[in-house]
Amino acid sequence: MTQIETQGTQQMTDSQAPAVEVRNLAKHYGDFVALQNVNVSIGAGEYFVLLGPSGGGKTTLLRTIGGFQKPTHGEVLLHGRSVGHLPPDKRPTSMVFQAYALFPHMSVEQNVGYGLKVAGLPRAQVAEKVAAALEQVGLTPFAARRPHELSGGQQQRVQLARAIVLDRDILLLDEPLAALDAQLRKDMCLELKHLQEKVGITFIHVTHNQEEAMTVADRIALIANGELVEFGRARDIYRAPEKTFTASFVGENNVLKGRVAEAAGSEIIVDVAGSRLQVDKRGLAVSDGQEVTLSIRSECVALDRVNGAETPADGFSITGAYDESVYLGLTTSHLVHLPDGTEMVSREIADSDERLPEAGSRVRLSWKPSDIRLHVE
Amino acid sequence: MNDYDNPWLHRLKWAYLLFVVLTLMTPVLYVMYVSFNANGFGANEYVFTLEWYGLIFSDELLIGALRWTLMLAVVVTVITVPMALLAAKHYKSAGNKIFPVFLLLAPLFVPPDILGSALLVSFKNLNIAFIWLGDQLGTAMFDGWFRLSFLTATIGLIIYTIPYSFVVILITMGRYRPEQTEAARACGANGWRAFWDIEFPQIRAGVFSACAFTVILVFNEYTRTSLLKGGFDTFTTVLISQMLNTGMSPQSYAMSAMVSFVAIAVIGSIILFTMIRAESLSRVARAKAAPVGS
Repeated sequence: MTQIETQGTQQMTDSQAPAVEVRNLAKHYGDFVALQNVNVSIGAGEYFVLLGPSGGGKTTLLRTIGGFQKPTHGEVLLHGRSVGHLPPDKRPTSMVFQAYALFPHMSVEQNVGYGLKVAGLPRAQVAEKVAAALEQVGLTPFAARRPHELSGGQQQRVQLARAIVLDRDILLLDEPLAALDAQLRKDMCLELKHLQEKVGITFIHVTHNQEEAMTVADRIALIANGELVEFGRARDIYRAPEKTFTASFVGENNVLKGRVAEAAGSEIIVDVAGSRLQVDKRGLAVSDGQEVTLSIRSECVALDRVNGAETPADGFSITGAYDESVYLGLTTSHLVHLPDGTEMVSREIADSDERLPEAGSRVRLSWKPSDIRLHVE
Repeated sequence: MNDYDNPWLHRLKWAYLLFVVLTLMTPVLYVMYVSFNANGFGANEYVFTLEWYGLIFSDELLIGALRWTLMLAVVVTVITVPMALLAAKHYKSAGNKIFPVFLLLAPLFVPPDILGSALLVSFKNLNIAFIWLGDQLGTAMFDGWFRLSFLTATIGLIIYTIPYSFVVILITMGRYRPEQTEAARACGANGWRAFWDIEFPQIRAGVFSACAFTVILVFNEYTRTSLLKGGFDTFTTVLISQMLNTGMSPQSYAMSAMVSFVAIAVIGSIILFTMIRAESLSRVARAKAAPVGS
C-alpha cells in the first residue's frame, strides 16, 4: 500500500516490526494516574480492540499512540520507530473520533479530501481518491452534502473515508460507534470489520461495548483503572478469561468468591457459600485456605427445577434460592441467590412455557467441569 | 408564538420591542432631522437643505478629525483583534480560567477617567525615564517615544478595546468543537493550518464582529482619547469640544448623521445578507433532504 508522505511523515521501512509497540507507557495528570506500565504489541494488519469501562484509560492510550497526548513515561513505537516526539500530523496514523469531528463548513467531498489537499496532491488526484474512498463507504451520492445533512451513521462513514483516503497504515478509532443507535451500531460493526479486511491496514478501536469488540476484533485488550488487565484473541478473552476482572467485564459471568479447601492435585476444591466446588487448577499456584474466585458463564449454568434440592452434590453444582426470571427475547435469565447472598444467573436460549420454580424455593445450579474457571488475581 | 399564548400579549411584546428600539434610535433620528434643517438646531422654522452635507468636506477641522479617527480605528483594530483572538484561544485551553479572565476583563471595570489618567501618568513618567535614558547614552533617540501622541492614544485604546473583542470572539469560539482541530491534525495539518482551515472559518463571524465593535468603540471613545491623544483631535473630541465651547456647527450634525447613515447601512446590509444566506442555505438543505438510508 502506498503511503502519502505528509509534512515529515516518513515511510516506515521495518516490515518485521509490529505496527504498534507500547513500552512501559504511563500517563499522569498531576496526582491522577490515567495509565501505568502498559506494554502491548499490535501486529500489522490486525484489528485490535481496546475494551474497558469508561475512565479506564483506553482513550488515553489511543490518543497517546496518535500523538494527541505525550506520555509521562515509556515510549510508543510505530513500525519499530520511536515517535514520542512527533505531533499527530507527523505520525503514520489517522483517526476517527466519536462524534463532532467533521468540518461543518465543508462538504462531504471536501472533508474527505482535506488531508490530501494538505499533503499537496494535485486536484485531479484528490478528486479521484476521494471518489474511490466515498465509493468504499457507500457515500458517493452524498458527496455534495454538508455534514449536518447526514445521519449519524453517514457522518461516521465520512470520517472513515477521510481517514482511509490518506493511505496511512494505522487507523485509530475512538469510540466511533458510541453515538449511534443499537441497530446501526451492529450494522456499522460489520462494515468496519469488512472495511478493515478490504484495506488490510491496522485498526485500533476503542470501545466500552463488548458486543462491538467481539464483532470486530482479532484481539482484544482489556483496560481498567489505567492498567492493561489482559489481552488475547476475542474468543479466548470470552471463553477463557485469565483475570477476575476480565471474567466480570466480558460476557455474563457468575463470579463466585471462595476459599481453597484442598489444593493438592491438578483439581482443587473450593468452599463457596457452603458448597464444595471442584475446579481445574490450570497450573496456578494456590494453597489451602487461600481466597480465590471462580467464574462460570451464565449460559453454561443449568437450572434444575425439579427436585432441585435433592440432587446429590457432585462438585459441579450449587444450591440456592430461586428469585425470578427475566425474559430477554432470545434468552431467559433465571436469578438465584446463594446462602451467602451472592447472586447467580442461569441463562438459557428458550422461550420455555414450563412452570417456573416459585420465588424462594430451593434449586440447584449445575455446570460441566470444563465450564468453571479458577482465578487468583 | 406558542399555541396557548395570548395573542394580545404577543402584540404587547412587539409593541414593547418597538418602544425600546424607538427610545434607542430617537436621538439619532433627531440628529438626522436637524442635519437637514437649513436653520440648524433649535430654529423655529424647518427648511429642508442638503447644504450642510456639502459643507462637511470644506470643514478642515472635522475632516482632519475624521481622518485621525479612522487611522486610530484601523491601527487599534489591527492590533487588538489578533491579540484578543490569541487570548481567547489560550483562555479556552487554560486549565484555570478564573485568573486569566479576571486579568483580561479588568479594564472593563476601571472607570474610563481613572484608567485614562493612570495611563497619562504612566506615559509621562515613561517619557521622563526615556529622556533620561537617552541623556545617559548621549542620544536624543528615545526622547519622543512616550510623549502624548498617536502611539499613546493607540495603546490606551487597545487596553480599552481588548476585553470587548475578547468576549465577542470567545462567545463564537464557545460553539467550536476542538475535536475538529484534532481531526485536522490527524489529517496531516500542522497547528496553524488546522486553525486557519478549520477553526477560523467557523469563528470568522466573531472575529469580524470584534473588528466592527473595536472600530465603533474607537469612534465613540472620548475620555481616554482626549487624555492620551496629544496634539491631534478625533471626531468625538472635536464634537464634544465644540459642544462645550460654541455649540455644534450644522455641519457637525451633518457629519454625525452621515456616520450614523453609514453605520446603519453597513450593519443593515450584514443582517440582510446573513438572513438571505441563511434562508437560501436552509432551502438547499430542505431540497437535499430526501429520505436516505443510514
